[in-house]
Amino acid sequence: MVSLAATFGRGAMTNHWRDIKNSDLILINGANPAEAHPVGFQWFMRAKLDRGAKMIHADPRFTRTSALADMYLRIRTGSDVAYFGGLINHVLQNNLFHDAYVRNYTNASFIVKDGFTFKDGLFSGYDPAKRSYNIASWSYETDPATGFAMRDKTLQHPRSVFQLMKAHYSRYTPEMVSSITGIPAADFNKVAELVGQMGKPDKVMTIVYAVGLTHHTTGGQLIRSGAVLQLLLGNMGRPGGGMNAERGHANIQGNTDHAISWEILPGYLKIPAPGQKTIADYVAASAPKKSDKNSWNFFGTNYSKFMVSTLKAWYGAAAKKDNEFAFNFVPKPAGNASWMTIYDQALKGKMEGLILSGMTAASIGPDSNQVRQALNNLKWLVVMDSLPTTSSEFWHAPGVDRGSIKTEVFMVPTTHWIEKDGSFVNSGRWSQWKDQVLPPQGQARHDHWILADIFQRVKKLYQAQGGKFPEPIMALTFDYKDPLKPELDEIAKEINGKDLSTGKQMTSFALLKDDGTTTTGDWIYTGSYLDTGNLMKRRQGVQDVKANDPTGMGFFPNWAWSWPLNRRVMYNRASADLDGKPWDPTRPGITWNGSKWVGDVPDYPATMDPHDPAAWLPFIMNGEGVGRLFSNSMVDGPFPEHYEPIESPVQNPLHPANSASPVAFLYDKAAGRPNRFGTPSEFPYIATSYRLTEHEHYVTQHVPHLVQLQPKPFVEIPDELAREKGIKSGDQVRVSSKRGKVEVLALVTKRLGAMTVAGQKVYQIGIPIHWGYVGLSADSDPSHGRYWMANALTPFVGDANARTPEFKAFLVNLEKM
Amino acid sequence: MIYLAAEHFASPPQWTWYILFYFFFAGLAGGSYVLATLLRVGGDVRDEPASRIGFLVSFPATLLCPILLTADLGASWSRFWHMLVDVTPGDTGLILHYWSPMSMGAWALLIFGFFSFVSFVDAWLMDRRRRPLLPPPVGRLFNIVGSLLGLFIASYTGVLLSVSNQPVWSDTWALSGLFLASGLSGGAALITLLVRYRAEAAFSLDRLRLADSYFSILELVLLIAFFVTVAAAGQAGRIVPWFPLWIVAVIGIGASLLGFRPARLRPAGGGAAVVGVAMEATVVSVLVLVAVLAMRAAVIFSAQ
Amino acid sequence: MAAIQPGQEYGFFTDTSVCIGCKACEVACKEWNQLQGDNPSFLADSFDNTGSLDGQNWRHVKFIEHVPDESATTGDGAAWLMMSDVCKHCKHASCMEVCPTGAIIRTEFNTVFIQQDVCNGCRNCIAACPYGVIGMNSQTGTAHKCTLCYDRLQGGLEPACAKACPTQSIQFGPLADLQQAADVRLAALHSQGQTQAQLYGRDDKVYGGLNAFFLLMDKPETYGLPNADNAQLPSRNNVAGYVTAVVTGALAVVAGLVAFRRRVTS
Ligand SMILES: Nc1nc2c(c(=O)[nH]1)N[C@H]1C(S)=C(S)[C@@H](COP(=O)(O)OP(=O)(O)OC[C@H]3O[C@@H](n4cnc5c(=O)[nH]c(N)nc54)[C@H](O)[C@@H]3O)O[C@H]1N2
Ligand SMILES: Nc1nc2c(c(=O)[nH]1)N[C@H]1C(S)=C(S)[C@@H](COP(=O)(O)OP(=O)(O)OC[C@H]3O[C@@H](n4cnc5c(=O)[nH]c(N)nc54)[C@H](O)[C@@H]3O)O[C@H]1N2
Ligand code: SF4
Ligand code: SF4
Ligand code: SF4
Ligand code: SF4
Ligand code: SF4
Ligand SMILES: [Mo]
Repeated sequence: MVSLAATFGRGAMTNHWRDIKNSDLILINGANPAEAHPVGFQWFMRAKLDRGAKMIHADPRFTRTSALADMYLRIRTGSDVAYFGGLINHVLQNNLFHDAYVRNYTNASFIVKDGFTFKDGLFSGYDPAKRSYNIASWSYETDPATGFAMRDKTLQHPRSVFQLMKAHYSRYTPEMVSSITGIPAADFNKVAELVGQMGKPDKVMTIVYAVGLTHHTTGGQLIRSGAVLQLLLGNMGRPGGGMNAERGHANIQGNTDHAISWEILPGYLKIPAPGQKTIADYVAASAPKKSDKNSWNFFGTNYSKFMVSTLKAWYGAAAKKDNEFAFNFVPKPAGNASWMTIYDQALKGKMEGLILSGMTAASIGPDSNQVRQALNNLKWLVVMDSLPTTSSEFWHAPGVDRGSIKTEVFMVPTTHWIEKDGSFVNSGRWSQWKDQVLPPQGQARHDHWILADIFQRVKKLYQAQGGKFPEPIMALTFDYKDPLKPELDEIAKEINGKDLSTGKQMTSFALLKDDGTTTTGDWIYTGSYLDTGNLMKRRQGVQDVKANDPTGMGFFPNWAWSWPLNRRVMYNRASADLDGKPWDPTRPGITWNGSKWVGDVPDYPATMDPHDPAAWLPFIMNGEGVGRLFSNSMVDGPFPEHYEPIESPVQNPLHPANSASPVAFLYDKAAGRPNRFGTPSEFPYIATSYRLTEHEHYVTQHVPHLVQLQPKPFVEIPDELAREKGIKSGDQVRVSSKRGKVEVLALVTKRLGAMTVAGQKVYQIGIPIHWGYVGLSADSDPSHGRYWMANALTPFVGDANARTPEFKAFLVNLEKM
Repeated sequence: MIYLAAEHFASPPQWTWYILFYFFFAGLAGGSYVLATLLRVGGDVRDEPASRIGFLVSFPATLLCPILLTADLGASWSRFWHMLVDVTPGDTGLILHYWSPMSMGAWALLIFGFFSFVSFVDAWLMDRRRRPLLPPPVGRLFNIVGSLLGLFIASYTGVLLSVSNQPVWSDTWALSGLFLASGLSGGAALITLLVRYRAEAAFSLDRLRLADSYFSILELVLLIAFFVTVAAAGQAGRIVPWFPLWIVAVIGIGASLLGFRPARLRPAGGGAAVVGVAMEATVVSVLVLVAVLAMRAAVIFSAQ
Repeated sequence: MAAIQPGQEYGFFTDTSVCIGCKACEVACKEWNQLQGDNPSFLADSFDNTGSLDGQNWRHVKFIEHVPDESATTGDGAAWLMMSDVCKHCKHASCMEVCPTGAIIRTEFNTVFIQQDVCNGCRNCIAACPYGVIGMNSQTGTAHKCTLCYDRLQGGLEPACAKACPTQSIQFGPLADLQQAADVRLAALHSQGQTQAQLYGRDDKVYGGLNAFFLLMDKPETYGLPNADNAQLPSRNNVAGYVTAVVTGALAVVAGLVAFRRRVTS
């Protein structure tokens, strides 16, 4: 998500599920949609069946997605930057990019400051002691008169983004790609051939990815490399195109939108930092800056309106102009507080307690033995869940001496999502309201009721006893019919926001103000709940395709509601040329009809004439107004570069001296804990972990019908390696890493195989994630569950930007038991 | 000619022990009834005691059949009668599908049961009161009709197996004959065994064993036909693993063939010799009966 | 789809070239029909842990791995075959042929249905079904298989498995429509060079045509389906069986008569 925001301005799937049917070519990298998104996969199949689209799947394993693809590429895990880099090089060297698009809709023509360099795997500004970059040199040459960036529309300037990029990727020759990824050069060239045709205006390609790219120390760059390719081919903003992130849980997109991550506030506003005293300080440090005269810089321009309206929603009358709208009530974290950091802090003994809700830390984090150690360091642990989890039961897991556990564990039964109403936001940003299906069972309470109750009790304590800083608690608005039992409908209405002067629901975030007269709980959801009702409940779908999908592009505007403003394809101004005509008239996004934009909800002022010399550029969220091929919003480099995973059997063929990411945060090292990374001599095989269709993480371990389908933990082993080791399908094997081991069954298959990387023969082993010491499988074999957790193997390290853990590339050894 | 081996993808019906013994007793019931009739109709008057043994064992053997069949139905045992009466709502009535051996067999068993019961009572009355239930000509006709049903009972189980899509079973036309020949052979062996309890039947001993050896020849021929047809269908691999059972079956057939030596070729040896013959007959008969069971077991298990 | 009408022929067109092996069909069937499923066991056979159709599994997704050694083209599902198997609802149904009780009937939708209140558990149908479809339910003691969701069809609903299938690998509808759709799909695959693609049971070469027919990406045998030569009805063996019995019976009677011919021995 970070990398999409850094490239296009917003961090979400750019198009939507149904739109995939509009593609000519589908590149799937780091995703296994047939298994992890089987329902969404129907749109891949429609593209294939109805328009003869080609589907190319690059994956370390031949999966159920590969089975239906037109081409399968066995790629080494963690090497997609090289793959996309090779494609970028092919497109640049052969002038296959979408010329008009690249010149006008990307920052190719922007001139980068003198002093920017890239040498031996390091960009300019690297500080080895801090393991981080000073990114001052990663910026544009500015015109002193206007402060705007210098541009050369001929793209010839040696320091233009275009020329720098061309030089950067010239190293990614087919042979180099093959050496890094393990994909035979001939196969790579076939793909390059197909991809190269997608720069034509009447062709469009989509790239689909998921956590096979995210779960790496280089996750952000892996994704950005695809995004850069899509900009070059002119495929952003167009139906059938895009950089499409398939999200995880049914509502994980909603989660992110509403700020589940520590570093953002709702609607992707940045979390304030220490030292920011006023809204102005905050906006100055957080909002994008206009760097071209034709840039609307919509986000930057409205940042303070969104922030103030949010504060107004939270603190109501207590948020006043003269107290900076209670800006000082908002916490300003001084350090990183991402997932791994939390457990790192607990390991260091710096945490007293933890509340886990709808997430089982003991199974899902990297280096789970260490995570359990962290839980053990807590005084108390609250688990809010409807089912027992490995976290709620960790104190009596097999092999654990109960006496040694000092943590007091509380289980708070919650309802499951099926027992409540509310909205699910899918990857395509559609917020769809659902009804309660089953009544709550037993003593289970809704999560939001539990939280409301806790809040009211804390408030009472403050009331009774006072406290250091009671204002944020005392002032928090809680205008629900029953303050102990808020309804999700009330909350949804509140999130939309209202105009305090008229009492009416806000209809658009463009109308939000920073004078304290408007509210919003999450500005990107403004427009979802009007005075006329909850638009997320709309269901005008395939019952009447003609009426409900007038453009035929699959937008179905009256089905549920999609942020922003019910727009189905983001950045859709880029789907039309400079004159406002669709690049491909058969697949229009929006079209200028002479007086207004028609089609999808325009991502642009609805009546702005494209011929107006002052017309805004298409990527309205970026300060540049265009898509960023070169971006200074990533901590690990303005151009995506291939780095080896922290544990890799080979040295980086591009720059062995700086093989792995120079900026990935090494927790154990920083905390002074012993090294927990293995070497290829001890752990010679590459492993990757992933999902199976049949299970949903750990929760389906409680569902008999699904346990029957995949009853036992196993690992997938390449046929050739298995023969070397005398392992047959069904044998018991031990897979170990520097951190732990699993003891599971072998599934020997030709779907995995050897590959040649940097001149060396390497094997990859596949490890499904779904087992542990809780659930029906574990009950049937109570003593073994402790050796069934994939994450016993994974390293405690993550992406340099988002700190998403490295679940997908690590080294292991394999033995027959 | 390219020979296309049969490929089967059917699942096994899991017919095992009850059905094995059903097949066994159906063979013996039918076989002994037929032999009893042949002894009465085609034999000497001195064969009558042996003939009556046949009728007397046929019915108890028959009686076991529905019991075994019902037991085999497991939870639905009380619905055995559905074989005879269609209970489809709106479409009730007696049911007989001539193309379904099982349907035919159910009726045949019922009717044969009636015949073997009457003949049993008849033989019992003859033994007790020297008075037949049915006047002789009618009785003989009755026995002949009963024998035809007996032939059916002893053989249709082979058709039943063949009329399926199971490997082995459906790959051969020989099963019905094989079951019939072995049922007759078993019937002869059973009567032979029981002769020891009825001295006056000793007259038929040699004749029964001669008949048995003829049946064994038939059986051997059909067994070869069975092996050839099954092998031709490419299913030899399924019967081979059951070779211990086949060996037991072949021993029975061989014993019956080799064990037979006509009385006149035998050295006269007085009472001791008679005892010796009876001993030998007993051993051969037991081997034959075991073979009858083993062969059926081998056939049933080969497919499953 | 138009409303489901009694008197019309219905069936499935299962297009294995688009099946993703998700097993949603297996689970949907169990949920609707309240089948518990078998005891879990790891079969070490690709991703299949169901094993076969039986009394608890009326849909079964087969996985057949034919993946080439090198990374390569995958041929629309030909490298890893996945097929959702089910009762074929044969026009000439072997099971129906041998059933002694009349439990197996053709419904008003021209599907093959086992009446649970009539079946007496003799298992003859199991021996007969060439596709290994039918299984016993130990609780009821009767034979079970796909009902083609007879109850749902009567209520105007499409079968649960087809409804759950995310890729439309399982298509339900009037047979004629399905056949037409299948022809179109086959032609498309052929034109893409997938010449090994073939329809199975769409015409009358196997069992007079199957109401649940398939598009296959390999030979039928590869999927555990008898080819047209092997697809034979059980009743084919009736005549030969009875003839053998009659001949054997006649010979045996003659042999018996010879053995028992009147002769004076002492
Ligand atoms: N059935 C099922 N569906 C699910 C879930 C589930 O648990 N079960 N979970 C949901 C959640 S929360 C999520 S986040 C999504 C995740 O959805 P996916 O990302 O599709 O799921 P994964 O199986 O983790 O990984 C996808 C694929 O990435 C491959 N891979 C690993 N490393 C690399 C790499 O470096 N390059 C490339 N090209 N491929 C790589 C793996 O082999 C795997 O096949 O699924 C969601 N859907
Ligand atoms: N090695 C390895 N590790 C991984 C991954 C990987 O690919 N490889 N993937 C990672 C990813 S992407 C993810 S998302 C995580 C998944 O990790 P989790 O999110 O922890 O996995 P789930 O099993 O989906 O857990 C959800 C829990 O929420 C509960 N639940 C469901 N509904 C509700 C509700 O309404 N309220 C509450 N309070 N609880 C509810 C369920 O009972 C269940 O226990 O795993 C991560 N870990
Ligand atoms: S589990 Fe739910 S969210 Fe996931 S693919 Fe199936 S229907 Fe969609
Ligand atoms: S597939 Fe088997 S069970 Fe189904 S109708 Fe055909 S013969 Fe009967
Ligand atoms: S088990 Fe039931 S359905 Fe099958 S043949 Fe016997 S009576 Fe008919
Ligand atoms: S039609 Fe109904 S009974 Fe048959 S497999 Fe599908 S869901 Fe199961
Ligand atoms: S539901 Fe459809 S796609 Fe999934 S396994 Fe069944 S037939 Fe295949
Ligand atoms: Mo996830």
